[in-house]
Amino acid sequence: MTPGVQPISSRTQTMPEGIAGLGRLEQVVLTAEEFDRVVSQALPILLDRAASSTKRFLRETGQWSDDVAHEKFVLRWGAEYLEQFLVCGRSEAPCRPLFLLDSMVAKQHSRSEPFCYHPDLLTPLGRLIDGLVGRAAISRDALIALFHHCYGLGPGQVITVLRLNGSESPRIYKNFQRWRDSGWKRTLEHIGLTEAELEGLTAQQQQQRHRFNRDAEHMLRVAQAHYRKSEPDHDPCLSRHQWADMFRQGYGIEYRIWHLALCLDCLHTAWNVGLDGASAIDKPHVVLQLQP
Amino acid sequence: MEPEQDFAEYRERLLTGMRAGIRRSACGAADPIQVFVNQRLVGLLDRAEAEATLQVQSQTQIDSVQLRSEDGVLLGGLSAPEYGFRSSRISLTRATVELRVHNTTQGGSVRAVCIPSPSFWHRTRRALVGVADSAAPRPVAFAGPGMRAVAFTQVLLAVALVGLVADRITGWMTPVRPSLSVTQAEVPWAAPIGEVTKLEQQLVELSRMQAKTVETIHTQQQGMAQLQRTMAKLSSTQETVASSVLTVKQEMEHRRKGAGRDAARMTRVIMSRAHSEQEQLEAEIHSLTVANDRLSKEMADLEQHNQDLKKRLQSAGVDVSKATVSDRETPMVARQNRALQPPHTSQMAEARPTSQQPPVLFWGTFSDGASQESLDQGVREMRGRNGTRSEGWQAVEMVPPVQPMDRVLDQITQTTIVKAVRVSRR
Repeated sequence: MTPGVQPISSRTQTMPEGIAGLGRLEQVVLTAEEFDRVVSQALPILLDRAASSTKRFLRETGQWSDDVAHEKFVLRWGAEYLEQFLVCGRSEAPCRPLFLLDSMVAKQHSRSEPFCYHPDLLTPLGRLIDGLVGRAAISRDALIALFHHCYGLGPGQVITVLRLNGSESPRIYKNFQRWRDSGWKRTLEHIGLTEAELEGLTAQQQQQRHRFNRDAEHMLRVAQAHYRKSEPDHDPCLSRHQWADMFRQGYGIEYRIWHLALCLDCLHTAWNVGLDGASAIDKPHVVLQLQP
Repeated sequence: MEPEQDFAEYRERLLTGMRAGIRRSACGAADPIQVFVNQRLVGLLDRAEAEATLQVQSQTQIDSVQLRSEDGVLLGGLSAPEYGFRSSRISLTRATVELRVHNTTQGGSVRAVCIPSPSFWHRTRRALVGVADSAAPRPVAFAGPGMRAVAFTQVLLAVALVGLVADRITGWMTPVRPSLSVTQAEVPWAAPIGEVTKLEQQLVELSRMQAKTVETIHTQQQGMAQLQRTMAKLSSTQETVASSVLTVKQEMEHRRKGAGRDAARMTRVIMSRAHSEQEQLEAEIHSLTVANDRLSKEMADLEQHNQDLKKRLQSAGVDVSKATVSDRETPMVARQNRALQPPHTSQMAEARPTSQQPPVLFWGTFSDGASQESLDQGVREMRGRNGTRSEGWQAVEMVPPVQPMDRVLDQITQTTIVKAVRVSRR
């Protein structure tokens, strides 16, 4: 274990408090309101429980290593599971909250790839890319913002690249604006990237721009390949002819937005189709943007 | 920063975010809501619409439904049952989302409806007209105009009450205001006593009128409440009556359908029985027809066979006659032998059915010199046998000849030992 990092369950609560809290969580709650009351009083315990389950899963699958990056990784996914538990678990009342959480986490871990785990994604750069792409899977703002953070495109250029019509354009601007206002900051908090780490990345990029972006492209491809599968309908890649047909006939708006944000190769293919003056912009390549 | 402190801060930020819940979302009240089924985005609920609806059918069972804002904040959700229905109402800012999940063995379905919350002025207006009172029963259709009139009266009364109260408050506040019109015209203490008394009387009268008005309003409100109670009772009574009528109708319909079903069932039974009997009869008729045809055919064959036999018999008779004529010169014994000899094999085969016929009986008298032995031998040659003897006539039974009987008797008569023959006793 990394020096200075204690087991998470022992950091914030003393043993008797933890046992008492566990005892309350093991009892049956009868209504959704009672569920809300009980779990809101025991969030730290539940977070530690979910993180411990994730840690155990990584250990059992040979993916665990005693360092801060892994500890943050399991905490991030523990929080993700706990948030889903808070929202969906109340509909399961009457239930025993602790066991319900265990079953929900176990169900998540029974999926083929419950999360995007790769040793390269545990570095600050990898965590940033994993966090951005992972957020894009659940947030439209983050999905649109990927075009900016990965390729440096602004809202107008995104509209041009995606060949969107007038009705979709205001929404793109709105996504950008909201991302700059709050989404970026919230995502950094969610992935646990500190200001110091961000500044370190900026310094790396300035010193070794080419290498930095090459590493970023490698990690981006790993993360994109994983998260793109969360929308199976929008996962398959298209040929140049199919892209041209789609742009010409104007269908598949949602597919375009999802797939081109999460597939670098298809973005290049779609770019080469060269419709509607898209060639006026430089061909997109990975230039990681560390500010919104 | 120390790793321990960094980690603790990260953990605390996550917990703070979870405690904040949906307040973290920066999306507006009109921004769409993302609907995730089994953690896959399936559609949007557009809150700009009056009542946005999203219906999703899945061939796999539904595990969870989640609502997220466009900035990714989890707004609400539902954990689906393995089988059956589950629904949930999720209150958001200026909207409520109704989720309904149905899982079957064939898959699942989700229905999400976003219902915008009514605005403040809409709620106020509804409160004023008394519709927002959820405790009060909904008026029935026939009472619509009446209830509207009542609501209008209530609004009028409320406005009048507000006016009176404002006037009263103004009256109370008047003495302390330095800018009263009364004081502007003349200083109170400089006014004549009579005017002051008159004003006091007017105030008292005004107060009395206000009190009376308030009392009237109160009475009217009581009357309105009683009227509402009566109407509620009336509507509930009417609902009871209507439900009773409906129950009776349903019962009658049920009985009618039941009787109809019984009659139909009986008819079906009878019809099926008659049908089966008819089929049975038809089968029997058919089998009889087939048997009749077969018999007719056999009869025709037999007749044909009979005709053939007759023809052959006739031709055989002709042959025998020819043979008799040609052999007239041969000795009598030999002629007798030939006549009494059995026919040829082919003739025997053809005449075989006639051997089954009863023997022919005739009587004869014999020459005086004929011995008994010669008589017996002659009878044997005729394939006959002796019968009784009476008055000189000897009965002889013989196998029925193929030739006609007259011709056979002529042949017998022509023998030397026979004097005469006859076929009858006299």
